[in-house]
Amino acid sequence: MAKVQVLNVAVLDNPSPFGNPFQFEITFECMEDLPEDLEWKIIYVGSAESEEYDQTLDSVLVGPVPAGRHMFVFQAEAPNPALIPESDAVGVTVALITCTYRGQEFIRIGYYVNNEYTDAELRENPPNKPNYGQLQRNILASNPRVTRFHINWEGCAEKMEDSENVDPAPNAMLPPSCTPGKAPPLGLVPDNSMDCL
Amino acid sequence: MKLLKPSWVNHNGKPIFSVDIHPDGTKFATGGQGEDSGKVVIWNMAPVLREEDEKNENIPKLLCQMDNHLACVNCVRWSNNGLYLASGGDDKLVMVWKRAAFIGPSTVFGSSSKLANVEQWRCVMILRSHTGDVMDVAWSPHDVWLASCSVDNTIVIWNARKFPEIVMTLKGHTGLVKGLTWDPVGKYIASQADDHSLKVWRTMDWQLETNITKPFSECGGTTHVLRLSWSPDGQYLVSAHAMNNSGPTAQIIERDGWKTNMDFVGHRKAVTVVKFNPKIFKKKQKNGSTPKPSCPYCCCAVGSKDRSLSVWLTSLKRPLVVIHDLFDKSIMDITWTLNGLGLLVCSMDGTVAFLDFSQDELGDPLNEEEKNAIHQNIYGKSLAITMESQLASTIIENPEMLKYQQERQRNPNPNGAQGSGHENQTPKLTNVLNGESLEDIRKNLLKKQVETRTADGRRRITPLCIAQLDTGDFSPALFNSVPILPGSSASTQLTPQISSDSSTANSLGLRPSHDPTTTSPNKTAEENKDSGPAPVNSIAMKSNLLLTSASKMEPMKALDSRFTERSKATPGVTSVPITIGITPLDRVKDNSSAKELKVKDETSSDSEDKNMVKSLSLVKRKVEMEGGEVVEKRKKGRPRKDAKMMMPISQPIPQTPVSVEKEPSRLVTPVVALKLPTPSIRKSFSTQVGTDSITYLEVENDVSVVSGARLSQLKWSREGREWDTLLPSRIIIATGSSDVVAVACEDRTLSVFTACGRRLIPSIMLPAPMSALHCSGHFVMALTASATLSVWDVQKQTALVKNESLNPILSGTDATVSQSLLTQQGVAVVALSNGKTYCFNTSLETWNLIADKQDSLVQCADFRNCLSSQDALGSMGPLALTQGRNLSAGRLASRLSSTPHNLQQGITLAFLENQLSSALILLSASEYRHWLLIYARFLVNEGYEQRLRELCQDLLGPVHKSSSSSWEPTVLGLRKRDLLTEVLPVIGQNLRFQRLFTEYQDQLELLRIK
Repeated sequence: MAKVQVLNVAVLDNPSPFGNPFQFEITFECMEDLPEDLEWKIIYVGSAESEEYDQTLDSVLVGPVPAGRHMFVFQAEAPNPALIPESDAVGVTVALITCTYRGQEFIRIGYYVNNEYTDAELRENPPNKPNYGQLQRNILASNPRVTRFHINWEGCAEKMEDSENVDPAPNAMLPPSCTPGKAPPLGLVPDNSMDCL
Repeated sequence: MKLLKPSWVNHNGKPIFSVDIHPDGTKFATGGQGEDSGKVVIWNMAPVLREEDEKNENIPKLLCQMDNHLACVNCVRWSNNGLYLASGGDDKLVMVWKRAAFIGPSTVFGSSSKLANVEQWRCVMILRSHTGDVMDVAWSPHDVWLASCSVDNTIVIWNARKFPEIVMTLKGHTGLVKGLTWDPVGKYIASQADDHSLKVWRTMDWQLETNITKPFSECGGTTHVLRLSWSPDGQYLVSAHAMNNSGPTAQIIERDGWKTNMDFVGHRKAVTVVKFNPKIFKKKQKNGSTPKPSCPYCCCAVGSKDRSLSVWLTSLKRPLVVIHDLFDKSIMDITWTLNGLGLLVCSMDGTVAFLDFSQDELGDPLNEEEKNAIHQNIYGKSLAITMESQLASTIIENPEMLKYQQERQRNPNPNGAQGSGHENQTPKLTNVLNGESLEDIRKNLLKKQVETRTADGRRRITPLCIAQLDTGDFSPALFNSVPILPGSSASTQLTPQISSDSSTANSLGLRPSHDPTTTSPNKTAEENKDSGPAPVNSIAMKSNLLLTSASKMEPMKALDSRFTERSKATPGVTSVPITIGITPLDRVKDNSSAKELKVKDETSSDSEDKNMVKSLSLVKRKVEMEGGEVVEKRKKGRPRKDAKMMMPISQPIPQTPVSVEKEPSRLVTPVVALKLPTPSIRKSFSTQVGTDSITYLEVENDVSVVSGARLSQLKWSREGREWDTLLPSRIIIATGSSDVVAVACEDRTLSVFTACGRRLIPSIMLPAPMSALHCSGHFVMALTASATLSVWDVQKQTALVKNESLNPILSGTDATVSQSLLTQQGVAVVALSNGKTYCFNTSLETWNLIADKQDSLVQCADFRNCLSSQDALGSMGPLALTQGRNLSAGRLASRLSSTPHNLQQGITLAFLENQLSSALILLSASEYRHWLLIYARFLVNEGYEQRLRELCQDLLGPVHKSSSSSWEPTVLGLRKRDLLTEVLPVIGQNLRFQRLFTEYQDQLELLRIK
């Protein structure tokens, strides 16, 4: 069983201009003292078409982690627009937070991200070349998709033989089909509803 | 019979594989498939039982859900005591859950359900051993063992008192093991597997008792589970899927000879689960069938793959009821309520059903006596006393008993740390958060969190710990923090644990040699090297502390040589030991201002310093008598090797010699064996009286000179009220209680005043200087430098202890007195530096050992389970004061130790009895009560019936008065029968002792009426 349980992820500074750093306040609980650090990553899916556009925005080590409930804020720079296909700049995509222990990913938290122009004019007539300065990033914080993986917490990266049993459904995190620039407002609410502390 | 399908009990449509009702009947657990993991859910029972509770939105339905299992959960089972939940699943793990006290509601992150967990159940143990899916788990009677079985063909017996210890792995099945049941008598465990066999194993040696194959030979491995069950009377074992003439049955196996002559027939598909009602019933049959009217019978529910449920009475040839089409898929598990009238069934289709029977339908449950008779008959002994598994079917005979049982159920955590209600569990995070609210922390988390770079340049964040994991264990911190009663009876500077004094004293020898008065620092340094321990402790050093050069040496040798030398050099000088002035500046002033030689003056002149420096070469101590005036005797062999040792200043204490200033009191210098240190004389000091911190004693020595004699002033103040008095000699120690004030003077007199300042008795002449002085109530305790103890009751003007020597406890050891105190009841307690603490028992006139740090009983005793939260408070008192630190150490040790349970039991018992007698001898009523309750709880938990009975008997006393009885109705001022009234609820928490409970409850009641 997982020694680390993610209790909550609060999306900070949301919505925000496209160039702002991502900020996730992560609360997790650990059953026993972890001898090694956790590694957290934020991955920005540049294009639903291909993984090749995935950008790892940042990765941090978190530790030491004694038994108990902990929190930290994971801040990572905004994605590099140059690496995003122009056609995918506006619209819905996905940001992933993953956590690995001893090189094994045990949780993957996905958020739908909607990038749109705040300016009505731009929204109506999006420029061919995306104007990142005018884009607003809106993370659908209220609806995270959490996938947990069975890993071997004791040893190093020795694969658990049955981890495929619990692999996420393929394409589970692919964004819904959505015409760029035509995405309706997602009606986001601040993600405090789950925070019961 | 009523039937209910509570639709709100579901795993979002996913299969529910297991259901189990908590022994207290207030909740039940389900286990099964979650979204992408296994899922265990704890539900509130009330909304199932009562429609109005179901409709009441304030009553939570879901109490807690845990998705920690990585794959489907096949079985959930509550321990018999209700404290734990065990779950086993396809992830090969068995998890043991316990309710956590301190962490508030939370959700499962990312789950679609926004419902918060009302109760927090936390996985306290993960049991890994199986190499395949765990299909069934079962707690043994007494919760001694937990058994789990798996598709890896094995059964693992876990030591439930020492998880994750494995007692035994039972191997022998050649197919997937899919069901387990313990014999309620505790002799066997039975397992059923896909290998067409049912095996019964002995718990004595874990060997196979019997292997039953015949009824299963035709069975195919078609069922997910094979949950078999043992009848509450132990007589029958009923299997899951068996075949008889090609028809599916549930095979009845008789305990007697393991005969397989009967079965439950009628299901059209394989039987997946059999569950006996925990009660035994009896009823006169009305349906015309004709078993013997008095013959008790059992009740059994059978669930099958054919989606139907049948309920059987062993007295009937046909099922009591058969319910078809209750579910869309196979029945997976069945559980009965404690009273035997309710039944929960779960199904692969993800729903549960609740059946509510009436007594008319099932019969009258046997009461305890009848049941005992049955057990007596069958097994030659009453199971009610020994078998906790029987408790589930025990009838509560006494309404008082019921009350305590209910109280216990309301608060199943013995530490009492959790709130009683579901609703108001607020997270108690403040300890960790230093009082900051979580909101505040969150605002600044990004700025505040510690972020570093690793060697390879990666970011590394140190997470902020917002809550520690609570395992429900009693925190030893409460014991650790027992203060040494600052300002109360032990308020003077001789309480070594108020450590500035002693550490300062120790640092005497360790002073760096930059003191301007030092004339030969090198030599000092040398001396320092020679003389043992490296200087380490100089925390309390003050730069302005003006001390002699002697102070730079290892204390003892330095002082020894110094005193010898000094007595040579200045024969007339009274040399009183160096002690650290709390107010060093005063002393300096003193020294410089007064040209006359002062009694305490060890530092004044340069020439003296030089003399002393010279004397440093005298490494060996010499005892010299100068003109018979100065006598120095010092007990050898007590070097203070460890500068950190918590010991009072133990310099030699020279007697007050004839002084050149003709102070009359110093004319006589008796030869005294000096053993104990005395405090220094300070120009002025103040001390707090009592614990209320509003009463102070202030002493100012040498306030005024009247016709050549110096007077010392003693001032008492309390919230503006004050009085003062003058004494002709300088005051060494002043102390007080709420009733009296006692001061010891340099001239070896002891004066005692009332709290209003009236002198109570003329000065008491002491045989030796005062080492420690305590007041408590109207008792005064004096510990003299010659190691004698006296305790007086100044109100009654009697001596409780008269010049009692400390020799019996000091001789033969290297120890010195590290602490002394006087209890409110006038019992003198002396703690030695070797970790032993004694008190003087005035009735036996003996020194009694009440605490010993090395005591292995203390180290190993484990009674945490017997502590309640109030206990921590109740334990304040002299016993806790002397033992506090050890106790916590013992508890920690017990957690680590791997002593066998029975040995630990014995240790704990011995320890608790020691505590009781110690509290008794200390006359500490509250602690006696405290330990008595813990003792009783321990006896109840561990089932020491004889001792429990003896205890009750002593507390109750003879019911009829007789002159020959030597029974005392009170102990330490507590009425024994009142104590019994307190002990009885403790006994009442364990149904095993309900006979005992009722017996004494009744007698108490009887006496009360009288």
